[in-house]
Amino acid sequence: MRRGDLWRGHSSHHLAARIAVDTGYAALNSGLLNGGWPLGSLIEVCQQGFQGEWQLFMPALLSGESRAGESRPGNPGLIVLLNPPAEPFSQALIQAGLDLDRLVIVKATEKAPFLACFTELTRTVACDAVLAWQPRANLTYTELRKCLLSASEGAGLYILFRPSSVQQQSSPASLRLFSQVVTGGLEVTVFKQKGMLQRQQARPVVLSRPDEWRGLPPYHGLDQKPHPGKIDDKTPPLANVSNLRGKS
Amino acid sequence: MSERRTRLWLALRFKDLPLSALNAPSSPDKSVVVVERRRVVSMTANAAASGVRIGMDLTTAQLLSDCQVVTRDPACEQETLHRLCEQLYQFTPHIEPYRSRETAQSGLLLELSSCLKLFSGVKKLCEAILALLKTTGYEVAYGLAHSSTGAWLLSFDNHEIRGDETTALFIIRLNKLPIQVLADYPNEVDALGKMGFSTLGDLARQISANSVGSFTKRLGKDFAEVICGIYGIDQGFTQASLFVKPVESYAPEEYFHEEVQFDYPINIVDQIKSTIENLLHRLSDYLRKRQLACQHIQWRISDIHHRQEYIQVHSDTPQSDWRLLYDLTVIQLENKAIPFDIDCLELICHSAMPLQGSSQALDFSGGRKRRGSAQELSVTMAKLKARVGETAVHKVSYRDSPLPELSNLMIGLAEKSFQQLPAIHRNGLRPAWLFANPQIIENRQQGLYWHGYLTLMVGPERMVGNWWDEKVARDYFLARRRDNLAVWAYLDLYKRQWYVHGVFA
Repeated sequence: MRRGDLWRGHSSHHLAARIAVDTGYAALNSGLLNGGWPLGSLIEVCQQGFQGEWQLFMPALLSGESRAGESRPGNPGLIVLLNPPAEPFSQALIQAGLDLDRLVIVKATEKAPFLACFTELTRTVACDAVLAWQPRANLTYTELRKCLLSASEGAGLYILFRPSSVQQQSSPASLRLFSQVVTGGLEVTVFKQKGMLQRQQARPVVLSRPDEWRGLPPYHGLDQKPHPGKIDDKTPPLANVSNLRGKS
Repeated sequence: MSERRTRLWLALRFKDLPLSALNAPSSPDKSVVVVERRRVVSMTANAAASGVRIGMDLTTAQLLSDCQVVTRDPACEQETLHRLCEQLYQFTPHIEPYRSRETAQSGLLLELSSCLKLFSGVKKLCEAILALLKTTGYEVAYGLAHSSTGAWLLSFDNHEIRGDETTALFIIRLNKLPIQVLADYPNEVDALGKMGFSTLGDLARQISANSVGSFTKRLGKDFAEVICGIYGIDQGFTQASLFVKPVESYAPEEYFHEEVQFDYPINIVDQIKSTIENLLHRLSDYLRKRQLACQHIQWRISDIHHRQEYIQVHSDTPQSDWRLLYDLTVIQLENKAIPFDIDCLELICHSAMPLQGSSQALDFSGGRKRRGSAQELSVTMAKLKARVGETAVHKVSYRDSPLPELSNLMIGLAEKSFQQLPAIHRNGLRPAWLFANPQIIENRQQGLYWHGYLTLMVGPERMVGNWWDEKVARDYFLARRRDNLAVWAYLDLYKRQWYVHGVFA
C-alpha cells in the first residue's frame, strides 16, 4: 500500500505524496496534485503542432528541483529532447538561461527505437527531464504503458507530446493535458490526473504570453489601412525594408 | 662486475623496399619508378636498364623510359618492416628498425650475441635468418659488425658470413669503407672530404692519434658520437660498461582473440547471450591484467559453410569492463537479423590503449551492479548511439555568425557548448525552435500565408552578412498566425521572398 501508483478510490488525501516540481505558474500549480509537475511519472501533453511547449515547461526545467538534480547539487542532470519537431535554437535557450551543456537531442523517428530510447533515458539517473515527441506512428496503449512503467523507475520529469487527435483515446499517463495557444496566451487544460477525481468539466488555465511577443504596430503602420499581413509591393515599403542596390 | 659481453649486430638492409612494399600491380615488362618529392628513390630492373638512376628527376626518368610512376609511401614501408619484425622475433628479441634520414634506405638491426648458443653459432643463425627472408621475396643486403651502425655500413660492402669474425676484423672492414657511406650526414661528409679524409680508416687513425675531441669541435657532438658508435669507442669513461646504451627489445603486437565453437547451430540471439558474456569476461580479465582499455571490439560469426559476418561495437569512452560492451553488442544483434546459423563466435580486440588514471571498483564478483551517475550517462548515451546512430545524438551550441542557421551548431556529446551570446543577440527576439531549412511563405492576395494567414507584429530586425560566402540580407519579424501561433518570419531582401525560420513556443 505504500506504492504511489496504487489507486485508492476517491480518497486523494490517502494517496502517498509524490515529489512534484513547481511549474512556475501559480494558477497551474493550484490545479495539480502536490502543487506541480509530478516526477517519476508520465505527463502527456496533447497539442496540435507547436503550442508553447517551451513556455509551459521552461520554468520547471530551469528550476532544477527534480530529485536527480538534488542528488547532485551544482551538477544538474540532462534535459533530453527525444525526436523534437525542429532544432532548438541556441540563442533563445541561452536568453532563457538554460545551460546548453545540459541539453541533448536524440532523433528517433521510428517507433521501435523511439520506445527503446525513451525507456533507456527514463531509467538513467543522469537525466533530469525527457521531452519526447511521439513519432509519426501512433503509440498504442501497451506502448504507452511501457513508457509509464519505465518513467516510474526514474525520478525526473518525463513529458510525452502527442497530437491533439489522441485526446479522446485512452492513455495510462499519470497526467494528461491539452495545450493550445489562444489570444490571451497559452491555454492549458488538465483533463486527466491520477489521484484526483474530475467532478466537473476541466477548467482551462491561461498562461499569459511573454510581453515582448505581444508586439506593437510599427509607427509607420499606424496610418496604414488595417489589412493585417497584407504585403503589397506597390504600397510604400516598411521603413527598414528597402530594396538593396542593384536588386529589384 | 662481469666482463662486458661483445655485442654482435646483423644489419638487414632492404634494397628495394620503397618499391616492393607498395605491391604496385605491374606487368614484368613494364618499368616502374618510385618517386619522392619528384626524385626517383627506387625502380625496377627494366627502368634501371633504360638508364634511370636513383636521385634522378622524375621528368628525366619519364623521358628515358615510359615508366609507371608511383609515389613513395613511408607508412607502407613501416608496415612491411613491422611484419618482418614479427617474423624475425623467433630468432632474437632485440630488433630495431632503421630508417635513413637522407636516402630511401631502411632495414632492421638485429642483436644476436644472446642467441648464438641456441642456434649453434652465428653462421647457422644468419643462414636461418636469410633463408627466412628469402621466402618473403624482399631483396636484402646484410652486414655483420660489433656495433649497430657499423653493421649497417657494412651492409653496403658485401662480406660472406663465415662465423669466425672478430671485432678486429670488423674494424678492418670498416676502415676500408669510403666516407660516402655516411649518407645521412651530407654536410659533414663534404667537410671531411675537403679536409682530406677519404675512408673511415682515416677517421679511425685521426681518433687514435689525437682524440675524438677534434671531430667534436669541427663537426659537432652528434657526428662525433656516430663515429664513436661505429667503432664502439668508449669516450674516456672509467667504467664504460655503466654507460653502454641498452639494447631495445622488440615487443610483438599483442591482441585479444578468443572463439567459442557451438555444439549445434544457433540462430536465436538469446541463446548466444551467455557465450557473449563469457567471452567479454575473458576480454575484461585480459584488459585488466595488462592495465588496458578498449573502445572497439569486433565479433565474427561464422557457420559450417565458412560464411562470415563481422559485427563492430564501438564505445565513446575506453572500457575495461565488460558490461557496456555486452549491452552494445546485444543492441547490435537485436537491430540486425542473424544471417545464418552460427557455428562459431569469435571476439577480437585489436586496438587496446593504456588505461587512463581513474579509480576502479574492487569487484571480484563480476556481476551487474548499479553504476554511478556519470558512468550511467556515458552508458546510456553509448546505447542510444548504438540504436539510432552516431549522428542522431548530439548537443547544440552557439557559434558567432550573422546568420541564425549558421549560429546554431550541432556538436558531439563530448564537446563543450559555447554559450557567450553577444549583446546584439542577447536582447533580440529569438524563437525556441529553428527550422534548419526555412519554409517558404506564400504571398497570397490576402496576405502572407504559412498554414494560415500571418500578421507581422514585431520587427523588423535586419541581419546582413555572410558576404564572403553568399551575400545575405534579411528582415526578421515576429508574425502571428490566425491561430495565435507566433512565428519568426523573414523577408529575403535579395530574393524578395518571405520565409518562416522558427516558431516561438
